[in-house]
Amino acid sequence: MSYSKQARGSFESVSERIPEGVKVYLPILPVTALVGLFILYPIAQAIYSSFFNKDLLAPSEAEFIGLANYAEIWSNPTIHQVLWNTLIWVVVGSSAAIVLGFLMGWLLHEKLPYTSVASAIVLIPWVLPRVVGASIWQFMFGGSQGIINELLVQLGVIDEYIVMLGSTELSLWPPIIGMIWRLAPLFALLTLTSLQGIDEHLYEAARMDGATPWEQFRFITIPMMRYNLAIGFLLMLIYNIRNFSMIWVMTKGGPGVSSSTLPVMIYRTAFVDFDVGLASALSLILFIVLLVFSYYYIQVYDQVRGDV
Amino acid sequence: MAAQDPDPTAEFRRNESWLFDTTAGAYVRKTAVALLTLVVFAFVLFPLYWMVVTAFKTTAEIQQIPPTVFPNDFSLEGFRLVVESSIQAGGYTSLFANLFGWQASSAIDIDILSLVLNSLKVAIGAGAIALVFGTAASYVLSRRDFAGKNALMSIFLASLMFPGTAIMVPEWELVSALGLFNTHLVLIFIYGAMTAPFVVWLMKGFFDDFPDSIIEASRIDQCSSIETFWYVIVPMARNSLIASFIFAFLLAWNELVFALTLLDNSRYTVPPGLLTFVQGFNTQWNVVAAASIIISLPVLLGLAYIQRYFVQGLTGGAIKG
Repeated sequence: MSYSKQARGSFESVSERIPEGVKVYLPILPVTALVGLFILYPIAQAIYSSFFNKDLLAPSEAEFIGLANYAEIWSNPTIHQVLWNTLIWVVVGSSAAIVLGFLMGWLLHEKLPYTSVASAIVLIPWVLPRVVGASIWQFMFGGSQGIINELLVQLGVIDEYIVMLGSTELSLWPPIIGMIWRLAPLFALLTLTSLQGIDEHLYEAARMDGATPWEQFRFITIPMMRYNLAIGFLLMLIYNIRNFSMIWVMTKGGPGVSSSTLPVMIYRTAFVDFDVGLASALSLILFIVLLVFSYYYIQVYDQVRGDV
Repeated sequence: MAAQDPDPTAEFRRNESWLFDTTAGAYVRKTAVALLTLVVFAFVLFPLYWMVVTAFKTTAEIQQIPPTVFPNDFSLEGFRLVVESSIQAGGYTSLFANLFGWQASSAIDIDILSLVLNSLKVAIGAGAIALVFGTAASYVLSRRDFAGKNALMSIFLASLMFPGTAIMVPEWELVSALGLFNTHLVLIFIYGAMTAPFVVWLMKGFFDDFPDSIIEASRIDQCSSIETFWYVIVPMARNSLIASFIFAFLLAWNELVFALTLLDNSRYTVPPGLLTFVQGFNTQWNVVAAASIIISLPVLLGLAYIQRYFVQGLTGGAIKG
């Protein structure tokens, strides 16, 4: 008792002096300030910097150049290739991760024993430090001792080892495969959890009514999972488009820009070429795409909460 | 009852397809599922297996062509090199020579110990910030209504999507302007900002479900709202709080982009440190694999705990696994 009285005294002496209307906002202030300063403010800074010709090492000598950075993006074929790579990366990587992840989740739920242990093991690629996962794939795709080269030779796909990570035509694909490996487990977990959330009685009732397995899947499983599938779909897009580590570890975006996507290009433009203005303009493109994805993510999120 | 009449619905469940109606169809289905399982899980698990066996191979075996699927000699060379290199880089060589008569000498240069210590510092700091700030905010956001509340929650959710690559350049400019370049402090703040919104969402879900009767009871016992929060709710929220902390910790432990751009290599955390070693000249992969296993352990321990909270956070608490 005595400790609580003491504590009450100190709490109240502070809290009595603050008007009620302000007090509500106080606990929210630190998070808002933190997010505002370190996440929202930089976006405004990027908009501002994108109108300047700014060197990373001499930011004070920035020179206003209007929309020249955007004109550069519009006309530079290297950047076009990067945008094209990004599109391939997001479309191929996301759809493969979704298909594979859905299969994994379904297998875990329907066909395999020890679901909770198995799903924890399956989730390892997703939680492993990004650099660790990417390093494993770099090693496996290695040109001289890589196990994947050996596998392809054994299968008769290729005659001798090829340097995939150093090839202009091929280098985009190994990081995508690594990324599918990292993201599919996340989608599998979402699939599994929503499958587990579906009431068995629904299937029972459907069977009574003579529904085939396909009909049960089409008219019960999919509709019941729609929000989670939508969230999973958006997360796949978001994680794919903003990925940096998988590419940077495996290929550094090279050779040339053959395996660069937008985030890698931003890094190279800012921290290798020191062109902050152009990098900021590129960041804004990425930001706008992410904003669109986030908008839909929030929409779905609100739907989920509204329905529950 | 079920035993007498195993499946009263059997006759209604007839399917159009031979895959479901014949014995042969059942075998085809079973084989297909088994093959599918094998391929899918081989894809997921093989890289993990490869990391583990690589860590236990000798340097000579690593360079063998074709690579061996099982290590010929089970060797701890990779782990030994990691430890020795840390001892050497940390300047403890003579200490160990005197104590154990053992001369640590390592040709490689990866100081895992100091990387881990840096990462621990940043991850614990970020976890603490996210936990304290996030929980305080989530309580108010759950219990009170005020103008702009929904907008704020949406901004928090959206902010989870941006960090990393989209803002690394302006973040660098901001951090340089603040004079905080190459400090762990600024990483603690940034990681805190990246994870606190997640904690807000997770804990708000918890507080929304928290029974009002308990809060009323404590009010009848003359607790102020802050006391109710601290002495009644926080102890009951322990599991969610731990999950929040682990989430923030893991993000900080894994994050590469900001650590790479906002630190010099003297103060690197684990991800950029490992990256530098991997991209260095003549990478020794058994050492990389051994180091990878060491730095992955905290993550695997955390995973077991947060798995179900994690899904809850991503899906707005719609499903509670």
